[in-house]
Amino acid sequence: MPLTKLRLHRFTAFDELEFAPAPGINAIIGANGTGKTHLMKVAYAACDVSKTGTSFAEKLIRVFLPSGRALGRLVKRRRGSSRCLVEVQRRERRRTLKLSASFSNHASVPKTATIRGAKPWSGAPLESVYIPVKEMLANAPGFRSLYSQREVHFEEVYADVLDRAYRPALRGPTDKERRKLLSALQDPMAGKVEVNNEEFFLRGKQGNLEFSLLAEGMRKLGLLWLLIQNGTLLSGSVLFWDEPETNLHPRLFGPLADIFVSLQEAGIQIFLATHDYTVLKELDLRSAGSGAVMFHSLYRESPHGRITFDSSKTYAGIHPNMIGQVFTDLYDREVERSLADTPQ
Amino acid sequence: MTRLQEGDLRIALPSSAKVSKLDDPATHGLSHCMKAVDFVVELEDRTLFLEVKDPDDPRAGPRERQRWAARFKSDRLDQDLVQKYRDSFLYQWALGRVQKPIHYWVLVGLEQLTEADLLSRADALRRKLPIDVPASTGWVRFPVAACHVFNANSWNRSLPAGYRVSRVTGAASA
Repeated sequence: MPLTKLRLHRFTAFDELEFAPAPGINAIIGANGTGKTHLMKVAYAACDVSKTGTSFAEKLIRVFLPSGRALGRLVKRRRGSSRCLVEVQRRERRRTLKLSASFSNHASVPKTATIRGAKPWSGAPLESVYIPVKEMLANAPGFRSLYSQREVHFEEVYADVLDRAYRPALRGPTDKERRKLLSALQDPMAGKVEVNNEEFFLRGKQGNLEFSLLAEGMRKLGLLWLLIQNGTLLSGSVLFWDEPETNLHPRLFGPLADIFVSLQEAGIQIFLATHDYTVLKELDLRSAGSGAVMFHSLYRESPHGRITFDSSKTYAGIHPNMIGQVFTDLYDREVERSLADTPQ
Repeated sequence: MTRLQEGDLRIALPSSAKVSKLDDPATHGLSHCMKAVDFVVELEDRTLFLEVKDPDDPRAGPRERQRWAARFKSDRLDQDLVQKYRDSFLYQWALGRVQKPIHYWVLVGLEQLTEADLLSRADALRRKLPIDVPASTGWVRFPVAACHVFNANSWNRSLPAGYRVSRVTGAASA
């Protein structure tokens, strides 16, 4: 069931943050360096270990990839010794489950971390997927075996997303809801996705097109199609998507927002980190303040101050809205240019 | 200070501005075939064609709001705005009054429009007026010097202090 709280104390860029996500769609905005991706990676790591049983501290190392895989490098940098705490909460059959990891900046290996709540946490596995900014499907053949055998410097989210993409389709007929979602994706992709010898293909009117010949945006839609088709995205699972706008034409943001809303209605919790006005407005127009979408703005209290956040049910209520601010600034400069010799 | 009013919106302009109301059947006597912007404002160095659209007018009933919503779809509104500009330009030209660069300002009383919305609306309208004439095709004059779409918020924020918009009813943030 959905994540209900994330607490980050002296972790990476954060001093102290208690983030309360909504059960539906969480659209996270913020300037570069305000921790959007870090927040999502922590939440994803917690979801993933509920299924794999990997230590939470170990998973944090794998998804953040600190230098030398030294866990202590994830503690917020300050003079002297310091200790961080990362805690994730969720509701599961009227119980609140908590998973936490605490470790010092001297910690080099995962076993030095104090992990609490791991047993009940993994007693109720939570399906999740993290779609990173860079598209991986075109580079997939051989990547997983390389990743499992060698120390390749790739955050584990890349290997994980391929694992999920390679899952075979669910048994039995596809239910009506999933058929609708799949067909909504097939329109812009003009085809369906097929996997052959670890290679991904788009099967359409032109025959089978390998993913390396497709536009990157189409490959991302293809990934979403696979995740819906193979049942990774089912009720109760969690989707994390870092910058869904990357490589997609803005005209596709509307259909994509429709899919997000349908997934949310089907009981999937969604986290999106975005820098894009159109993505936010498409979500805002669909949710109309109903609470299906929550907008979270991460920001620093002062230029080098601590990171905090503000949440709103509507685009208009986002504060501070750094993306809107960019347009306000452009608008003002455009009027200013026209008034260069100000009328008196 | 020069004041003018259109529906529920009251607009203050610098006192040097000379305003004439153009959208009046008696003005050009051709209302069966010509449209007109609401106001022509003569400033020292330029002429403003000012058109006011006010969907947020608190006195509008539900049916009027529905009509507004339909008209506000970009294409229909832009067609209307383009015709108003061109007909007004023609009328001013016929009166021998086109002597200064003309700036087209559209004030939309719709406060939920963001700056991103206003920017894209202004860009779309500029393409249709049009504001840019093709190079090397013989055009020697530019019929439109500039075009902006404002709402009350952006008007009050981005224009100099002498230009202000407020609501007569005081209902909106203007």
